[in-house]
Amino acid sequence: MAILERITRNIDNCIWNPGVEAFPVKNKYTAGVAGQKFFEELKSNGKICGTTCEKCQTTYVPGRIYCEQCFSRLDKWVDVGTEGILFSYTKVYKNKDGSGKENPTLMAAVKIADGLIMHRLGETNLDKLAIGIKVKAVLKEKTDRTGSINDISHFAIV
Amino acid sequence: MEDKTVISGGTALTDEEINSGKIFLTEDSLNCAYAWDAGVAIKHYLAELKKGKIIGKECKKCNRIMLPPRMFCELCFIPSGNWIYVKDTGIVNTFSICYVHWDASRIKPGEKPHLPAVIEIDGASPGMGIMHILGEVDPEKIKIGMKVKAVWKPEKDRTGSITDIKYFKPL
Repeated sequence: MAILERITRNIDNCIWNPGVEAFPVKNKYTAGVAGQKFFEELKSNGKICGTTCEKCQTTYVPGRIYCEQCFSRLDKWVDVGTEGILFSYTKVYKNKDGSGKENPTLMAAVKIADGLIMHRLGETNLDKLAIGIKVKAVLKEKTDRTGSINDISHFAIV
Repeated sequence: MEDKTVISGGTALTDEEINSGKIFLTEDSLNCAYAWDAGVAIKHYLAELKKGKIIGKECKKCNRIMLPPRMFCELCFIPSGNWIYVKDTGIVNTFSICYVHWDASRIKPGEKPHLPAVIEIDGASPGMGIMHILGEVDPEKIKIGMKVKAVWKPEKDRTGSITDIKYFKPL
């Protein structure tokens, strides 16, 4: 077989295909100390919580256990409410795997206190959107919440 | 001066805590799928195994008949020549009586040991052999140089794999 003769159909050749299970590489990534507290509040009480660094006058959302400016340990948790302002948004035409979306969706960065939460936007009318408008988290029913960022169904314009 | 340093040593979690669902986590797995192309020579070799035949390839310079076949002679560095059918009989070149499984776990009491062996196939050049297993034989009676013959799977069960030969048995 000449070098230029390409094998175009792999199925014609004997290939050894052990499949996806050949290297079972699985991982579990925990939310961490602060994440655990944040999601627990979201799941059980429907609250979005942050931590405040009094020295730096900063409230992190989602809460962290360290201030990233002064490295202080943060243990003062505050309920920051479910409202925030639209910091940025983008229209998404593709799925995670690169295939086209039938109906484009809107993703938003919502500023709550001094933190940003990336989430879906319920609004589809671009004319109604402007950076700086108020948006509010729409939570799932308590029984449907699992302690994930998806416990917030989406953000809606107030 | 008061030392306000707080040392955080991380948080140990037990399996129970992880599995209880109380610890929030995301699970993911990497897609490590792969397929390994057998190549031109081995492709042909496996296709012939499916037919119940063993095929080698000759080197026109050193006159060796190479088994398994390869596309070039590794001694002469020239492309190999004709495809040559060899027999499905041979002699035991070396063997092992193996009391552990492939995953290194020990065989259970009463279980027969594995008998991997290198078989020099008749028709191929001396020393040309394939790694396989021996069967229908008392492990105590295996000898180097012993004549053996391939025991094939029924044709319908063959897949074009070295396991199309079930094992080699004494002749």
